[in-house]
Amino acid sequence: MSSPVNSHSSPDIPAQRALILVVERNPAVQRLERFFLEQAGYSVEFASDGVLALARARELCPKIVVTEILVPRLDGLSLCRALKSDPRTRSIVVLVFSHLHAEDRALEAGADAFIVKPIDEENLIDIVSKLLEIRRESTGG
Amino acid sequence: MAIERLKTGNSNLDEVLHGGFLINTINVVMGAPGTGKTILAEQLVFSNATAAAPALYLTTLSEPLDKFIQHGQSYAFFDSAKVGETVFYEDLGAMVRERGIGALAEIVTEMVTHRTPRLIIIDSFKALTELIETAQERRTILFDLASVLTAYQCTTFFVGEYSGEMMTELPEFAIADSILMLLKQSTGVREQRFLRVEKLRGSASIPGMHAFNITDEGIVLFPRLLTPDISPDYTSNPERVNTGIAGLDDMIEKGFWGGSTTLLAGPTGSGKTIIGLHFIREGAVSNEPGVYVGFQENPVQLSRIMLNFDWDPESLIKDKAFELMYRSPVEMQLDSVAAELFNRVREGRVKRVVVDTIGDLKKSCADPQRFSDFMYALTQWFATKNVTCLLLYELHSLFESPQITDEEISNMSDNIVLLNYTRGVEMARRVRIIKTRGSAHDHREHALQISDSGVSIREIT
Repeated sequence: MSSPVNSHSSPDIPAQRALILVVERNPAVQRLERFFLEQAGYSVEFASDGVLALARARELCPKIVVTEILVPRLDGLSLCRALKSDPRTRSIVVLVFSHLHAEDRALEAGADAFIVKPIDEENLIDIVSKLLEIRRESTGG
Repeated sequence: MAIERLKTGNSNLDEVLHGGFLINTINVVMGAPGTGKTILAEQLVFSNATAAAPALYLTTLSEPLDKFIQHGQSYAFFDSAKVGETVFYEDLGAMVRERGIGALAEIVTEMVTHRTPRLIIIDSFKALTELIETAQERRTILFDLASVLTAYQCTTFFVGEYSGEMMTELPEFAIADSILMLLKQSTGVREQRFLRVEKLRGSASIPGMHAFNITDEGIVLFPRLLTPDISPDYTSNPERVNTGIAGLDDMIEKGFWGGSTTLLAGPTGSGKTIIGLHFIREGAVSNEPGVYVGFQENPVQLSRIMLNFDWDPESLIKDKAFELMYRSPVEMQLDSVAAELFNRVREGRVKRVVVDTIGDLKKSCADPQRFSDFMYALTQWFATKNVTCLLLYELHSLFESPQITDEEISNMSDNIVLLNYTRGVEMARRVRIIKTRGSAHDHREHALQISDSGVSIREIT
């Protein structure tokens, strides 16, 4: 992805904290992602499997879903397809964030972006911020 | 009735297992950390998983699932497109932590009904069962798990950091239909990896330690060289094989018997390599392709020698008339050389082989008995395939050698050619035929000269 419009180091924390739903089975990874995303000014919710994530997405309507591919019950790619095919969740931006090098498959599944783990916090926040910017522009607010 | 087998994704391992693992069995892959167990298991998974027969890889408590993915992707066999489609990774360890080890069989049943796999890996099974507190509980939990895995149509592998003595103590080894042990052996600063089949219920296998390397392709195994069965239709080759050195052929009734092994022993500088190159080059121009296996001089150095004699190695190599196969003696594995040579012989490309020198081969093997067995098997194998072989051996003494080799290789050889120098100021090169099996020979010492056109031999008057 190209350079972000908003950097996570920017002092301009969003007035309304954008909600991010992170789908991650590993509690250690959850803790790290929460830390970096909250530090950047976002509000974070978690789901530890794909089925739960789908329900949470419908319930919470987050701005972004950040999902690992390798999550139980419904994998991240299937989750992405489910979100993008449901009118209630179609507008949610999906960022696939995985150890599995599967960028093509993620984009085919309808993901808006793909990044590979391990966590590079600058890269993660830059891409989240850029995706939100693109979403704001496309939805006009 | 032939039992269906699960191929391993590694033809040489299939050969060791006489075709692969028996399907619908429970198997153990054991070995110390870092021996290659997970790589072997992942190779098995990616080579077998299909939409009709998916594979389930259950990680436990030895390494996080993410590490399996991270490391696995560095190997050529790992097809990330299969993950989530035909290969399913699941964190069994997390579920067991949540529901308790007593629910192991129940959790695996749920996974089996959800994914319907034909191949299941539990890695590490040992780490998982360390959660079990008593031996009695261990037996019960394993019995329940084995009952599920036996009832369902799947082949299962328990991967674990087990040591040899655990085989008699732990119930998983009694349950197992096959046990594969992976190990590392150190000799000085050298380290070699080996695989051994400890148990293979209902099937024969190639016994002993099989060397392997871990490469970008995964595990590359070299089945231990055994003496070949002599086929009833095997007959000796009645044709003579010229060495390309007229004077030498004259000393041995116009050449060696086809399919014979000749030991060419001599001190440094006596002409061994040049005679070897004559032999290979003669084959190359006589429609008898050959391989020159060198451990000291690389192909560039050998080509330079040939160019000095106005030979044209490049065009012969291009025409596949011969091959210069250079292997560094550092970290070399004995059976890997044989495996590479055999592949070429099986493809029908090779009628002549030169090994320069067998002393380098010997250095790669810590066990003298194993080396002697290897050389016997190698020479027998070449004989049955009608490959004529020249084994070069470096003698320490320039003038005379009371014993040609230490490993009875002289007994295994059909012919022995000895090179040395005369004492005195001139130090002239000499050649003598010590032995030719099934053939007469000129036993007199001859003069050997090396000139711009290669080696020539003449009688001493």
